[in-house]
Amino acid sequence: MNVGVFLVFLSGLLFLLPVQSTLLYSLSPWGLRPDLCLIVTCLTGLWGGPVRGVVVGVVLGVGQDIFSAGSLWLNLLTKAGTGFLAGHFAKNFSNMESPLVFFPIAALSFVWGVVFWLSSRTGTGAMLHGAVTLLLPQAALDGLVAVGFNWVIARWMAAGPAREDWAGRFPGGGVR
Amino acid sequence: MNRIVVVIVVIAGVAVALFPAYAQRLLRAVGHPLANLAVAPMERLAVMDRGLRDWWTQRMALQDIHDRNRALRRTVAKLEGEANQWRERVLALERFSALLDFQQRAPVPTLAAMVIGRDASNWYQGVMLNKGAEDGVRPEMGVITPAGVVGHIVKTGRSTSIALLMIDPNVVIGGLVQRTRDEGMIQGTSQGHVRMKYIPPLSSVKQGDVVVTSGLTGGFPRGVLIGRVAQVEESESDLFQVAAVDPAVRFRQLEEVLIVLAPHPSDVELTLEPAGPSSASRAPAP
Repeated sequence: MNVGVFLVFLSGLLFLLPVQSTLLYSLSPWGLRPDLCLIVTCLTGLWGGPVRGVVVGVVLGVGQDIFSAGSLWLNLLTKAGTGFLAGHFAKNFSNMESPLVFFPIAALSFVWGVVFWLSSRTGTGAMLHGAVTLLLPQAALDGLVAVGFNWVIARWMAAGPAREDWAGRFPGGGVR
Repeated sequence: MNRIVVVIVVIAGVAVALFPAYAQRLLRAVGHPLANLAVAPMERLAVMDRGLRDWWTQRMALQDIHDRNRALRRTVAKLEGEANQWRERVLALERFSALLDFQQRAPVPTLAAMVIGRDASNWYQGVMLNKGAEDGVRPEMGVITPAGVVGHIVKTGRSTSIALLMIDPNVVIGGLVQRTRDEGMIQGTSQGHVRMKYIPPLSSVKQGDVVVTSGLTGGFPRGVLIGRVAQVEESESDLFQVAAVDPAVRFRQLEEVLIVLAPHPSDVELTLEPAGPSSASRAPAP
């Protein structure tokens, strides 16, 4: 990866948090906002491998923890875990352009939603109701937005030079 | 042939010179029908010419109007933008003056802050404020607006802080039904509503009752408006009554807030000393 691509990627990462905490709030349908940090971490893991996934997950997770009311480790751990799991999942996924990418990303979003729910809510009594009204719609929205981003990345990767740039001077990287 | 023509012309010239009156009469008699023949097309041509001239003038005028219209549209768009900016400034000024007025009337020292963002994760109902530890903001301080209670500070950075809104399930505030003086606990729900729990079973609380802070918990003085009771849920098997409360603050439209630096008069000196008294009356940053 050359310095230019790296800088563009880093600026994109830094730009994500303000977008997540300001612009997306006005665009949220029914109070739901896509978790851009989770989506970007997932896609980085899927396309770049587990190591890149973890690195991006840690960076975004720390940023989210700083600008969120939650504990200072929750997003760090969940986002790093997302990058790691997505990276390993990609090894068993033959067609990265497939809309089936929706399912792993939605599943990860749901699982981390449950973790957040259990860690922050005062009780588990309304868990089932919360899962239906909040966690599942959130997971579906994250999955749908991720499929859109994934389609754009697949087109970009297919262009050629970007594919070689991305493919690899970092450990754990590589395009399948 | 040419000669014949020349002879006729000469004879006609001589005849006209010798008998001008006859010649003129003759010419008039011959010329009138010819003139009548020519008038009709001439009139048509004149009408066409006028039409063409009108069309051209109109076209030029339209072009001019079109150009002026475009210029005016540009000016209107620019002025609309400026007017919008001014309107926004007037609204901000109105909000600031209301906030300042409330801040001066408030019985406790407060610090004005601006909402600069929302919680970065999707799992908390929080807002980011542009005042932090260096302004004297500490966790657990209450956050209010002239309309009522907003929530409380949970995290502070050097120059920013995160406030959890009252509609988050992690926020619990002591509430008081103003009419019946019954106390209870105000807590958010995962659906973004507010409920008042632990209302005594014999309380006569009813829809429309005003709920204010009790001053016993959280960083709020007594008597700050929380909202109105929207519905009372009473069950024979429950030990307490629960009421759904309609918050007085519209959380989606939060722009400026006041952080309560010391909720109780006895705390004022203690809390203000490290933060500095001047910071309490600071206007919100633009």
